[in-house]
Amino acid sequence: MNDDSWTGFLAARTPELGAKLVEHLWWLTFLPMLLAGLLGVPLGIRLARMPRLRSLLLAGVGVIQTVPSLAMLALLLALFGRIGKPPAIVALALYALLPIVRNTVTGLAGVPGAVIEAAEGLGFSRRQRLWWVELPLALPVILAGVRTATVICVGIATLSTFIGAGGLGDLINRGLATSNVRLVVLGAGAAAALALTLDGALGLAEGWLAPGKPPPRLRWKTALFGTSIVLLAGAGWWSRPVPATTVVEGVGEARPTIRIGSKNFTEQLILGELLAQLLEADGRFTVERVFNLGGTIICHQALLNGEIDLYPEYTGTALTTLLNEPVPDEPSRVGRMVRRAYAERFDCRWLDPFGFDNTYALTVPRALADQYGWRSISDLQAAAGDLRAGFTSEFRERADGYPGLQRAYGFQFGDVRDLGPELMYAAAAGGEVDVICAFATDGRIAAYELQVLEDDRGFFPPYQAAPVVREDVIEAHAGLAERLNRLAHQLDDATMRRLNFEVDEDGQEPAAVAQEFLRRRGLL
Amino acid sequence: MTDPDVMIELQGVSKSFDGGRTMAVAGVDLRVPAGQTMVLLGSSGCGKTTTLKMINRLVTPTAGRILVDGTPVDEQDLVTLRRSIGYVFQGIGLFPHLTVEENVAVGLRLRGRPRRDRNARAAELLELVALPPATFANRYPAELSGGQQQRVGVARALAADPALLLMDEPFGALDAVTRESLQQEVLRLKRRLGKTIVFVTHDVFEALTLADRITVMHRGRVEQEGPPEDLLNRPATEFVRDLFARPAARLRRLAPHGDE
Repeated sequence: MNDDSWTGFLAARTPELGAKLVEHLWWLTFLPMLLAGLLGVPLGIRLARMPRLRSLLLAGVGVIQTVPSLAMLALLLALFGRIGKPPAIVALALYALLPIVRNTVTGLAGVPGAVIEAAEGLGFSRRQRLWWVELPLALPVILAGVRTATVICVGIATLSTFIGAGGLGDLINRGLATSNVRLVVLGAGAAAALALTLDGALGLAEGWLAPGKPPPRLRWKTALFGTSIVLLAGAGWWSRPVPATTVVEGVGEARPTIRIGSKNFTEQLILGELLAQLLEADGRFTVERVFNLGGTIICHQALLNGEIDLYPEYTGTALTTLLNEPVPDEPSRVGRMVRRAYAERFDCRWLDPFGFDNTYALTVPRALADQYGWRSISDLQAAAGDLRAGFTSEFRERADGYPGLQRAYGFQFGDVRDLGPELMYAAAAGGEVDVICAFATDGRIAAYELQVLEDDRGFFPPYQAAPVVREDVIEAHAGLAERLNRLAHQLDDATMRRLNFEVDEDGQEPAAVAQEFLRRRGLL
Repeated sequence: MTDPDVMIELQGVSKSFDGGRTMAVAGVDLRVPAGQTMVLLGSSGCGKTTTLKMINRLVTPTAGRILVDGTPVDEQDLVTLRRSIGYVFQGIGLFPHLTVEENVAVGLRLRGRPRRDRNARAAELLELVALPPATFANRYPAELSGGQQQRVGVARALAADPALLLMDEPFGALDAVTRESLQQEVLRLKRRLGKTIVFVTHDVFEALTLADRITVMHRGRVEQEGPPEDLLNRPATEFVRDLFARPAARLRRLAPHGDE
């Protein structure tokens, strides 16, 4: 672990924390809530007047809320066909809908019958009755719904990092991806504080808005106005450009921006940083980092949509997950197959490989391997029924994962659990599972005294890593491909494992590790 | 075809809430002279409130015709009709989010009258119902007693200066002393403002106190209609005789040297 003090850590992270907080507050809380309010309150008003439709539609809105958040994000991602804020905002708005609609209906139903009768007797039109009587009286209840929805929204918004929507989830996700507990605590703590603050503020507003109490209405209007001004001002201050990220030389001379993506685990973050810093050092490009995207498909879609220009991918993954092709009998052909298919089908180019092969590796605790004499995957045959496996969810589904493995080796494990990639090494070391699907270049294999089993039937295809770039990007930016190819064959398995280890176990930043590597190799 | 001195006329008005199986109001004919107070008297469920609410179309009749000021109510714009009729009921229904002053003036605000006019009118009306505006104008309904709330309810109904006032057991939920004082208030208003009032009650004494004419209703039908003395002295039916028996006895007891 990094032995920097907490204060130092906080000081270093404050500008980023501020930016993420603002992003979380405005894009992932305020905007979805605004959307949900604009949709939910009128819907609630409608439903309050249609008692027969009410239960049906409320149930329908309720079903939305039972959709697991990640599934919802995935669904909307598929629907929008693009990563980023729009699908996240829509997903969050949908979640916020139920409490708002329900409380609007409840609030309107709670308006006393005598008050309605008085309004009718006085000759209020329907619209006047709604705006002058029903809504003001229902407002505290509606606001209570908004309050519930807001707290839910702040929490769920942390998940939208998986589709590249930013926010405090980025810190949490990055912390998880790089085993950086402090970063997780920082992100989660900030999200919790944000939720509590908004809850408190809305609670106050609820009190002010309670009807028939002496404080005149002018005061809450002023208060609400004042609060929003303060929040806006705060946002403006926080989101002011942070110096040192981009120092633009040569005013007015715009350098093209290259958007680099990455998946959400340590190796990808390091590779992303390596590519980014290499381009930045060149001087002809500026770089936008779109890191921590929640999976292979998301990165691929983002690349094809033009939301990112390049990202590091693995040949085996591309073959089985993106091209849906079986692994050929001759594994050495995989690279060529992928290259050709990408050119033909996606108009994308695989640059030269980094040099390492991050294959899946069935891995067991070294003590077990020694005790039972396991050296290859076939050796597990006899014991498999009694073994507990811990696999990532991707591995359990991918053709080059557990499904194919069962067919290739003809056995199943007694118990298989879904584990996050960041958890499985510790789970194996702690004896909670016996077999994991490690990544061959992960530094934690050695650190946790684990043993990689030989793939004696040659089931796993090669997973050679290389940057994948859209062809139009290469054409538009002379020198880009050449520049990036300077990383070709610079990283063998051992080197990559060491860099991963420096992040996962030494607690260093991927950016710092990448910079150190580039400097030592004289690439900067 | 209508007598200019008749403010309200009901012609064969019926109402059924269950598609005709039972009649809440059955073939009621009624004429309320302008400037007079007509009390609809009867026990609960006799159709008196339903009859009242058909006048300002809170309830739609199943059959028959109702004319206000010579025009059938169903030919008038609903909002305009209701704004031209003051309505006070037992539930009061003050708007809890508005002050007393705003409650009284809300009808004027609907019509877009300027704030200064509204406040002046509210103050005038609060004086009229014996709630000094200096004390009460800025209070909220929750800070008032039941009797004070109903005074505000009456003031609110009078704000637009309607010629016709419908009052549906307005004092039913109040204690005897408060009720008494509000009844006196209504008598005073009546003398001062000359409004036509239709007043629904189940309280025979209240009816005798306020009415120029009384309509006794029973099971949706009119039993007898006439000035209070007629009903007391010349009851047309057994029901009317029984209804007034107790008050008549009390009147005799209170006046032992009367004409007996």
